[in-house]
Amino acid sequence: MFHFENLTLVQFKNYASATFSLNERIIGICGNNGVGKTNLLDALHYLCFTKSYFTRDTSNIRQGNQGFRIEGHVNLFDEKEKVACILRETGKKEFLLKDEPYTRFSKHIGRYPCVMIAPDDIQLIIGIPDERRKFIDTILSQLSSEYLQNLIIYTKILQQRNSCLRSITETNNRDFSLLDVLDEQLMIPGSYIFEKRKIFMVGFLPLAKQLYEDIARQPENISLFYNSELMDLSYPELLKMNRAKDLVAMRTTGGVHRDDLELNFNNLPFKQVASQGQRKSLLFALKLAEMEILKNEKKFTPVLMLDDVFEKLDEERIGNLLERVCLLNDGQVFITDTNAIRLEEKLIKLKRPYQMINLNND
Amino acid sequence: MQFSSALLENAVNEFARLPGIGKKTALRLVLHLLKQETADVQHFGEIISKMRSEIKFCHRCANVADGDICSICANSMRKQEVICVVENIRDVIAIESTQQFNGTYHVLGGVISPLDGIGPDQLKIESLINRVQKDQVQEIIFALSPTIQGDTTIFYIQKKIQPHTIRITTISRGIAFGGELEYADEMTLARSLQNRLPVESYVANSH
Ligand SMILES: Nc1ncnc2c1ncn2[C@@H]1O[C@H](COP(=O)(O)OP(=O)(O)OP(=O)(O)O)[C@@H](O)[C@H]1O
Ligand SMILES: [Mg+2]
Ligand SMILES: [Zn+2]
Repeated sequence: MFHFENLTLVQFKNYASATFSLNERIIGICGNNGVGKTNLLDALHYLCFTKSYFTRDTSNIRQGNQGFRIEGHVNLFDEKEKVACILRETGKKEFLLKDEPYTRFSKHIGRYPCVMIAPDDIQLIIGIPDERRKFIDTILSQLSSEYLQNLIIYTKILQQRNSCLRSITETNNRDFSLLDVLDEQLMIPGSYIFEKRKIFMVGFLPLAKQLYEDIARQPENISLFYNSELMDLSYPELLKMNRAKDLVAMRTTGGVHRDDLELNFNNLPFKQVASQGQRKSLLFALKLAEMEILKNEKKFTPVLMLDDVFEKLDEERIGNLLERVCLLNDGQVFITDTNAIRLEEKLIKLKRPYQMINLNND
Repeated sequence: MQFSSALLENAVNEFARLPGIGKKTALRLVLHLLKQETADVQHFGEIISKMRSEIKFCHRCANVADGDICSICANSMRKQEVICVVENIRDVIAIESTQQFNGTYHVLGGVISPLDGIGPDQLKIESLINRVQKDQVQEIIFALSPTIQGDTTIFYIQKKIQPHTIRITTISRGIAFGGELEYADEMTLARSLQNRLPVESYVANSH
């Protein structure tokens, strides 16, 4: 229903110029360290999200070149469409669907739902709350452009409010009338975001917990919950309560930009007590739950990209995972590995047609 | 670019400082002037410098004026009790071109944006509130950018004048205006002036 048919890269990261035709639903990508496996996945990520999974646009221009181009043909419900992302020499980015440039890139988000699992994603489990908020926002933004729009507006008003707090404090001006206006403006998208996250968590959290237990295959006491000050306070109350503190800090100390997804293991923070394998299992559970939700809401399966996921997993877990993402799942899947033989063996076992892309020059 | 005359080079450099004018266009303009009669070019230069040194800003609405009060404020045929609040002088010109508006203006000089260091004090907001208090203003029409900063400015001013019972409206915001008002075609602009919305309903629908 949704898959990439080919990909052309020009001056993108380590690729001077390359075209890949993508013929199967299951695609293995192999090659030594540094050949460009992750870069290839990131190019696909560009076409889904208009940006890199990892870095800012200019770092993706091939060294010594100016500008890059990523182009792909997508099959969406048997309709073929061309999508392209161009970074011009001037640094200006263009994003085109069927040769029509988007005026707002945010309009593209959600058209090509996509889930990436990369080694650094473990930050989702052990990193700061921003990582988990970004994860949740990425899901909700793919589901609703209205959510993304509210998020963009919220962020802009938040910056204005923080500047306003700073200017009040620095000039010792006791006129709060502009701050009052910004508070009211902030509450509108803020309350919207909170409500949407709250509703989302009701379905998402039990699903992620269930998937974790499936992967672990033994009872483990984990609990996941949505942590927001807005659970107990309304937006006006929260801003009112924090105002004095905000003025001292010169920034907004409470609101949906401080929400977190709390992950516990035996009622202690997951990152403190869980083993590396358990962390990784939880990461997969969260990402597979994302997959599941996107699929149910969109009524078609997102593209899944698994970058180097075999590291640190035992054979049994690898088998389980592949079965789940390749057999129980009907969407396009990209899997990278440095070891061509190991990858091929695993794909053969699935007894499904697959394609291998070997990036080594031999 | 190599010039054999410093006089020529200076003139080209000055033209090239204007918005939208590159070196090549600047050279073309200067060479054109060079072909004209000395007196004509003299006249051209005088008009420009006179414009800058003698132009005034209306004490009432901050629009450009040839005297203390602009021709719009001074015109007794225009409804002095209706004020259209705009960001800049270009917006006044665009709305005037529609010939559909018979009230007066108030030029704020921008919109509130703390991030850019623009607070209410940097704009002509106080003078607007004074006008509302002193004159018998019946309606204020906001024609500001459809942005968060435009919204902030509307809400802020609205709060300040709330004690006075006057009609507060905004022109429908589907069209590009504010900084982009000059690009909106006259028909669309005229229509949106006609179909203005009360501010409350606009707030509810915008996000
Ligand atoms: N802007 C750029 N210009 C040129 N080369 C780049 C650029 N950005 C990254 N590279 C190169 O791309 C290579 C890394 O590619 P990538 O991360 O895709 O490797 P990989 O195949 O995933 O390797 P690993 O197995 O180690 O994960 C490095 O050799 C790096 O030097
Ligand atoms: Mg890699
Ligand atoms: Zn005037």
